[in-house]
Amino acid sequence: MSASDLPTKEANVLKGHEGAVLAARFNADGNYCLSCGKDRTIRLWNPHRGIHIKTYKSHGREVRDVHVTPDNSKLISCGGDRQVFYWDVSTGRVIRKFRGHESEVNAVKFNEYSSVAVSAGYDQSLRSWDCRSHSTEPIQIIDTFADSVMSVCLTKTEIIAGSVDGTVRTFDIRVGREISDNLGQPVNCISLSNDGNCILASCLDSTLRLLDRTMGELLQEYKGHTCRSFKLDCCLTNTDAHITGGSEDGYIYFWDLVDATVVSRFRAHASVVTSVSYHPKDSCMVTASVDSTIRVWKT
Amino acid sequence: MDERDLVFYGTPIEREEELSSRKKKAVAEASGQLRTLPTWKQEVRDEEGRRRFHGAFTGGYSAGYYNTVGSKEGWAPQTFTSSRKNRAELKQQSILNFLDDDEKADLEGQSLATSTQFDTFGFTASEVARKQADKEPSAIPGPVPDELVLPAAESIGAKLLLKMGWRHGRSIKDSSTDSLYDARREARKAFIAFSSSDDTKSNIDGDANHVNDHSNSLERPVNDDNLSSQYTPLNALQPKQDLHGLGYDPYKHAPEFRGKAGPGFGIGALEEYDIEDEDVYTTAYDFEDTVVQEVEDSSKPITDHKHRLTWKEPGILPGFKVASISDYQVEKFNAPEVPKDFVPRHKFAGPLKVEDKTAVPPPPDVPPPEDSNMKVLIEGVATLVGRCGKLFEDLSREKNQSNPSFGFLMGGNGHEYYERKLWEAQQKYKDQKKLPLPSDGKSSQKTEKMNAENRGKILGERPLERSSSSLVSPDVNLQSNLSDTFMKPLQFSELPEVSKPFKDNSAKQERFQQFLKEKYKGGLRSGESGGASNMSEAVRAQERLDFELAAEALEKANRGQQSNLSAQQSMDFLTSAGMQFTSAGVEQSKDTLDKDFEMKKMYPKREENQWRPSPVLCKRFDLVDPYMGKLPPPPRMRGKIDSLVFKAEFIPVPRIGDKTGQNQNRSSGGLQSSAQGVRDGSADEEEDEVVVDVENVERPVDLYKAIFSDDSDEEAETSKVSKVEDPEKKVEVANATLNRLMAGDFLESLGKELGLEVPPDLPPYSHTNQNPSALEKETTGLNPRDGSSVKMKITEEDRKQGSPPPSEDRMDRRHSKRQRRYDSISDSYSSSSGDDSDRDRYSSKSKGRRKKGSSSRDKKSSSSRKHSRRRHHREDVSREYSSSRSSRRDKDRGESKREKRKRRD
Repeated sequence: MSASDLPTKEANVLKGHEGAVLAARFNADGNYCLSCGKDRTIRLWNPHRGIHIKTYKSHGREVRDVHVTPDNSKLISCGGDRQVFYWDVSTGRVIRKFRGHESEVNAVKFNEYSSVAVSAGYDQSLRSWDCRSHSTEPIQIIDTFADSVMSVCLTKTEIIAGSVDGTVRTFDIRVGREISDNLGQPVNCISLSNDGNCILASCLDSTLRLLDRTMGELLQEYKGHTCRSFKLDCCLTNTDAHITGGSEDGYIYFWDLVDATVVSRFRAHASVVTSVSYHPKDSCMVTASVDSTIRVWKT
Repeated sequence: MDERDLVFYGTPIEREEELSSRKKKAVAEASGQLRTLPTWKQEVRDEEGRRRFHGAFTGGYSAGYYNTVGSKEGWAPQTFTSSRKNRAELKQQSILNFLDDDEKADLEGQSLATSTQFDTFGFTASEVARKQADKEPSAIPGPVPDELVLPAAESIGAKLLLKMGWRHGRSIKDSSTDSLYDARREARKAFIAFSSSDDTKSNIDGDANHVNDHSNSLERPVNDDNLSSQYTPLNALQPKQDLHGLGYDPYKHAPEFRGKAGPGFGIGALEEYDIEDEDVYTTAYDFEDTVVQEVEDSSKPITDHKHRLTWKEPGILPGFKVASISDYQVEKFNAPEVPKDFVPRHKFAGPLKVEDKTAVPPPPDVPPPEDSNMKVLIEGVATLVGRCGKLFEDLSREKNQSNPSFGFLMGGNGHEYYERKLWEAQQKYKDQKKLPLPSDGKSSQKTEKMNAENRGKILGERPLERSSSSLVSPDVNLQSNLSDTFMKPLQFSELPEVSKPFKDNSAKQERFQQFLKEKYKGGLRSGESGGASNMSEAVRAQERLDFELAAEALEKANRGQQSNLSAQQSMDFLTSAGMQFTSAGVEQSKDTLDKDFEMKKMYPKREENQWRPSPVLCKRFDLVDPYMGKLPPPPRMRGKIDSLVFKAEFIPVPRIGDKTGQNQNRSSGGLQSSAQGVRDGSADEEEDEVVVDVENVERPVDLYKAIFSDDSDEEAETSKVSKVEDPEKKVEVANATLNRLMAGDFLESLGKELGLEVPPDLPPYSHTNQNPSALEKETTGLNPRDGSSVKMKITEEDRKQGSPPPSEDRMDRRHSKRQRRYDSISDSYSSSSGDDSDRDRYSSKSKGRRKKGSSSRDKKSSSSRKHSRRRHHREDVSREYSSSRSSRRDKDRGESKREKRKRRD
């Protein structure tokens, strides 16, 4: 994929949120996207047609993260009300509320089978919740972090989380081992490459760092954007050829994966770009911003 | 007047108009008229003809099946007993079976009621009396005056009130304050006083007061006679306007919302209700409406907490209430006024951490023990303890209790010398920690002037005699200065003109300055630092090399300019040491380059810990629990001490990511290619050491010793030999060792020093025999592995010792790294699993894979090399050390290397 194939043209603007949009995520097949924000709602969109489909209201505070199962049947969301909500997508009802975090919950993800949701909280812990049973107690609490856990990723066998203490920790369930990669800078957001071999970590020193998962080597650093005080998402493109991420000045950056050169940058939003999510198959991207809009980008 | 005093005679005349309608009904019911009604029209009534009320909490007047206690099917049996066995048995029934609970209570007289003694105003008594009067027609025709049937027994409260001048029928209030408002106000006061426990109840009480006051204030004719008749029942005054049942409490299941005015969805009960949460759910549910309210005029009676609070505020005009909707106002406090003469900077009387240093008086300086071996040992341990803290001392004391050479720890031979060395080490370590990085030229000069005298002056120490009897004193100075040159960069930013080595090429000189600045700045090097952007890789690398050389030369020259004796000595020492460390100038520069990299690549660091996933988590992830069947480990038993000792200073040896910037990578690659010819086997040895460190970051000392005992034996031998050979160079060797201890990788020195004498409890090893066999096994991959964990470790480490791949191969491999990573994942599990019990399983698994997994091994070896390049300059020492190892092993490895390379090619 060359740089010209990057999604730099605005295809749609999704308006509806009041106040900052904190996260925008494609679903598994990329046909829909979910967003959540300061207005305590989660919204389901068709980004390709620019249609707002549904609103999910139940959170008492801002919603910070949302994730949908691969079969599009359930949502998991979390936010400032210290709860993790397990939703039914079609009815819009909350199936379960997982309480237990002692503070705001920053991120949440389903595992591969949608049987467990793992949430990362400001209380320096990861908590895994059982979506199969009726128990609302966490299955396991991981509290080895020294500071707020900002982001979590799940693979088939691992839980990976990035924390403000500067570490990216991988908890390998299969081996029973914790690998902690200290980056020395607060980690804002982590994102897995599509081949699962690398972790992209957004650090608060305005640097994205690409780590090799096997050895913990620092493969590359990506600079140019501003990320000093906000939780900004970053991700790899669907082909793993480029890295993309938002900036606090409203710009979106594309870096070459290997050269770490800024391939493209353009002003996408009026304010901080909080979240970027890349289409799993196509060259398409949604970005969310504090300016309360979600924008869909295509080539 | 008492009832008993009356005489009843004749038959009372019943006058119809006096009889209440319900009385009539009761009479009618008694006569059985209503029984003719169909069941759904019948009403259950009590003995006074009132509709029986079926529990306020269970739903009103209608209950059961058409007001019966039964169901549609009939009477529900109390308990079911099979009639098969006792068919003809007659069930024992009593009247209690058919009575309601309240009827039973009546029957047994167990109902609770107010004791008349505390019925202050006689209300209960009068009620009872009225009932009584209704039931039993009085002798006197017409309405029975209530006072006639007032209870005879005065309650205590009434008595007291009477003594205070109160009379029946009067309100308790002061008669002079007659206005409507005052009455109410009094009532409120009273209510506030009473209403602390239960809101609802006290509301009703409050109502009572209100009603009382209200009725009084309405200037009703207050008769002493008809106090009770003026007392209107409460429910008449409060028509029920909502649909809730009686006694409905909106907060019954959510007591935390009681008294809270706002909405509470999603906000915890303990959470503060702040500005952010305001007016979000205002339309959702009006809580205030659900509170039982009285019908009153403009001023509402006490309804909730908020209003009650506002009454306490003094600024409210009589007759007004605080607006329920008002602008939210946050109380603001002005910042405290700063005095004009305030100086916003605190001046410390002395330097920071003075107390740390002066707390321990310096132990006397003593000559070192005769045995130089002992001296080295003592100094090594002292350095370690100085860095790691007392804990390490305790640990090694424990470990080496039976070892005579560690007697100095127990206060034996050489203890004084140890104390002294320890103190020195501690001082030095603190100083290093304290010294800030020089930010500008002035400050750096200052810090450079900070020598022992200055420090002593600051600390208020008694200056030590410079030329005390011992030989050690200059050594000590030399020591610290030397290490300072390592630790603390010289400042080159304002070099004199003469020291500009690239004067002819201004651009190059500029780059050189930049290079110097960055070299000693620490942290990560920016990507462009390698040279001008338009330069080719080779040129850039070459220039980098030049810079390194020039920097080295400058450093030396600069140090030579310093006038004091010790610095001169140290410089001499450095040069001699440099000669000792390195054989060629090119290599030296490369080394400095390497260490430069290492200084800037502290991150990322990798650590591994055990982590036990819960069984449910494994199940949900559809994985086999790796800890299945194992007892849960005692929490963090493994290493309070270990982690303290090792983590404090052995910052887990970083598996440094190899590339941060493409430029650096390229430059290093180019450099490597240029320096490839010079590289010899010792470099590989050095890498071995590094890998070993990685492996043993958090291993217990014993294991470490076990692994290294052979090396250190060899080391001991060689050092002894060298001493025998060059007795006149003894001091220099000792200095070298010292230097190694000071600046070197001290995990290594730990291993060596502790392993100098193998403790008797350790099983004897013949590593010299094992190593080649392990290597052979490694290269052929055929030999079966035997079970000893130590051996396995060694083989693993050997396995990691790859040959240096040709540099042209490097970029290739980098590109194909992605694909290989899959292989190496599993391999790395096996090689670096922190758990020894796991090790067996995985290593045996990986054994079979090893034949085909040479690519991943190569990668690992290359990464470890990269890693090693970035380690601090202390590596020089380790190189020196490793090069002095037995040559046979080198040969072996060299062969295996060649073989491996062949296979890869």
